[in-house]
Amino acid sequence: MTIGLEEYLALGALLFSLGFYIALSKKNAVGVLMGVELMLNAVNLTLIAFSRFSTSDVTLSTQVFVVFIIAVAAAEVAVGLALILVVYRNRQTINVDRTTLLKG
Amino acid sequence: MSSFGFHLAFWLLAAMTVGGASMIIVSRNLIHAVIYLVISMLGVAGLYLTLSADFIAVVQVLIYVGAISVLMLFAIMLTPRAERDNSETSLKLPAAAVMILLLTATVFVALDTDWGAVRQAALADQARLIGQSLIREYVLPFEIGAVLLTAALVGAIALARRDDEDAAIHAQSLQAEAEGAADDVALLTDPPLVEVEAAPAGAGPTGSTSPASEDGG
Repeated sequence: MTIGLEEYLALGALLFSLGFYIALSKKNAVGVLMGVELMLNAVNLTLIAFSRFSTSDVTLSTQVFVVFIIAVAAAEVAVGLALILVVYRNRQTINVDRTTLLKG
Repeated sequence: MSSFGFHLAFWLLAAMTVGGASMIIVSRNLIHAVIYLVISMLGVAGLYLTLSADFIAVVQVLIYVGAISVLMLFAIMLTPRAERDNSETSLKLPAAAVMILLLTATVFVALDTDWGAVRQAALADQARLIGQSLIREYVLPFEIGAVLLTAALVGAIALARRDDEDAAIHAQSLQAEAEGAADDVALLTDPPLVEVEAAPAGAGPTGSTSPASEDGG
């Protein structure tokens, strides 16, 4: 059995599903962010696998695309953690079940 | 690429990645969860290496393992009275159901489709090529990304800094703490004076004189 594209794709799908479960089920806001990061990593892994196994010459473009995704993820984490700090300062909790200010 | 070492590396890195992600789910301590996230990210970096994407692997280690995990640890440390509990919420069962459905569908598509894929030759000199294409055909997205990062940085600072009245109150409390500490230090540094005049000082307004002088003596 050789390691081909299918193994990488299945691994990426598994990692994405785990991140999806963490983002939906954790009640700590930092835990939710960790799930989002896992999902972004799974997408990057899938992209790199496709670039390595693709028949056309897109390897370089895909790697540049992944660099952009990593940059946007870093910006997202910085703003998200600042938001968590503000929520903590105002509500004394970062439990996403208890930050229900917008609930009708 | 069917050597034994390559197989071993792939399966070990896959186990590391999936194991780290699973340990985030079961770990009850949030700081342990960040450590498991780092392990998972390192596994993904190793998988990039098995795909001959060495520049992306280095970027992954620098950004995710180096920066983002430290940022998360800072956020956890700066929210001291929030609970460190990382356990699940009431959405556990629906989330698990949706996760199983998603996993089944994507894995089925990944394994069932005939991708017609063959492993291409690795790109030589990747860092130089990526850098050149970033300032040639991708120069506009590159500049937009720079602006985005700057805006995110400024926005994060603007969000996380205290308001002016908050800052004033905080500065006052800090100053009071510093003055209290200075009093304690003064009491500690000249114990003979306090010991000689122990009776009048103990009757004074500072009630913490006698234990401090005992510590100093």
